Amino acid sequence: MPLGTTLIVILVLFSAALIGVLVARPAVTATRGGKILAFLVLFFLPILCGAMGISSEMERSKTTAFCLSCHTMEAYGKSLYVDDPSHIPAAHFQNHRVPADEACYTCHTDYAMFGTLKVKLDGLRHVYIYYLGTPPAPENIKLYEPYNNRECLHCHLGARSFEEGATHTADPATLRAIKSNSLSCLSSGCHDVVHDISHLKEAKFWKEKN
Amino acid sequence: MPDVDPMVWRLQFTGSLLIIGLLIEAICLFSAKPIAFVLFVAIGGLFLFAGVTVYLFSIVSTPRS
Repeated sequence: MPLGTTLIVILVLFSAALIGVLVARPAVTATRGGKILAFLVLFFLPILCGAMGISSEMERSKTTAFCLSCHTMEAYGKSLYVDDPSHIPAAHFQNHRVPADEACYTCHTDYAMFGTLKVKLDGLRHVYIYYLGTPPAPENIKLYEPYNNRECLHCHLGARSFEEGATHTADPATLRAIKSNSLSCLSSGCHDVVHDISHLKEAKFWKEKN
Repeated sequence: MPDVDPMVWRLQFTGSLLIIGLLIEAICLFSAKPIAFVLFVAIGGLFLFAGVTVYLFSIVSTPRS
């Protein structure tokens, strides 16, 4: 468990213990000092614990391990280790073009206003389907909406390899079309090998050296 | 049966709600699974919200002694 989360757990347990003292000895609150203490313990500390806990949970929900903890996502996690540079997610993950410990979130978040909130709500929908619905087979999982170039351009926009790449600049209209999302990076036949989980059995895998 | 001061009763009720909520949150923080996130927000958060609300209600509704 990360140190930050451990400290939050200690704060939460300390707050619960203080509240326990007030519950066991309510006479403490009879004095002015006791009333102030009760306000701190029964109002301020629980809100502080809740806010810090939510912040910690939100950060943890961005981790690759968190996304891959559901059985349905196992194949997608495995696809990050395919030893083939034409596999876009694998190449990004293995070469640390995205942070390896936040690989899923980095590419699948929404870099628009309230995007994080939107993807968290989508995540809640995933949890609902996983526990209370019928999760689809991994190969049948689809994105809620077509992958937006905005997520690629968040990092690649302005990069020399993107702006001056031979294919991108062959036709002046191409770069404009990519930037306006009218020509998809992924589904236009250019970078179209993503999580190819139906062919994982034939794939060769990269083994990370420790 | 002795009369229990309503403020004391409310404080104890509030405290119990908050302790339950905080313990749920502490347990959820140990797990890195998505269900822990949901329980943290939905169940732990609900108890904390209820506890804080009852406490605030009790301090504004109890007459000064």
